Amino acid sequence: MTYSPELLKGTLKTIVLKLLSDHKKMYGYEITQKVKELTRDKIQITEGALYPTLHALEADGLVTTEVEYIGKRVRKYYSLSPAGRTAGREKLKELTNFMDTMIALLDIKPKMA
Amino acid sequence: MYRLNDQQIDFIHSDLLRRGIRTESIRLNLLDHICILIEEHLHEKDDFYQYYTTVLPKFYKQELCELEEEARLLMTMRKGHLLLYRSQFFLLLFIVLIGPFITFDLVQIAHSTPIAGQIPSRVWAGPLIFALFPMLTLLVLFLTPERFDPLFPRRARVLLGSRPFIRILPVDFAS
Repeated sequence: MTYSPELLKGTLKTIVLKLLSDHKKMYGYEITQKVKELTRDKIQITEGALYPTLHALEADGLVTTEVEYIGKRVRKYYSLSPAGRTAGREKLKELTNFMDTMIALLDIKPKMA
Repeated sequence: MYRLNDQQIDFIHSDLLRRGIRTESIRLNLLDHICILIEEHLHEKDDFYQYYTTVLPKFYKQELCELEEEARLLMTMRKGHLLLYRSQFFLLLFIVLIGPFITFDLVQIAHSTPIAGQIPSRVWAGPLIFALFPMLTLLVLFLTPERFDPLFPRRARVLLGSRPFIRILPVDFAS
């Protein structure tokens, strides 16, 4: 089962910032594969959403980039800036809060591990 | 593992540009992503161009330039912007387009001197003509909003910002 895009809407920045905080630097394709791997294919980030988001994060100064030349093509690596690290923590906190609220609102009983 | 040659990479790069990916950062990311997919899945005996045409649609719903538009939208949203409902946008349009006419009317009437309780026709004729355009605009904008549905669906929102100045957000994005 994959989650609907509507459900994932608004969480993409948080996902990207969290992944970048756990890994020193990542490139686009690597991010999509990591998300698939960590969620066992339940969340598939579309490139149509990922790349514009990375572009916006870069413009906001939340990520820094470095490029690697692979023959004629360029691989762009993203890593968190200090501002991005703070923003990532805030976004994660906000999402956790939101999930707690939803659990209470919808009367969902969390599964015990 | 399949290795793309320089000519094939140039082809993909040009094709991305041709399909409207103007932002370099997005174009380079897409180019790398597509190259990885092709190199991982294509076999030596397979046709590159045929495979490329099957890979590309995975990146968009209708057209590849959606990515470019999405990026521009995100860039607009991070700067100062106004996100308005259709009725709010029409009201703003009405004020901007018609405001000067109504102001002119009111100023004319305020400066007129009523003779025996009546405003002479030379005073009200001008403002009446100037009021005609506002009234017609009002009728078209507010009484028949469904005529704008194809261009501006009822539940869509309008984003006023810079580059682009006006953008109508589709219903699925706005909701």
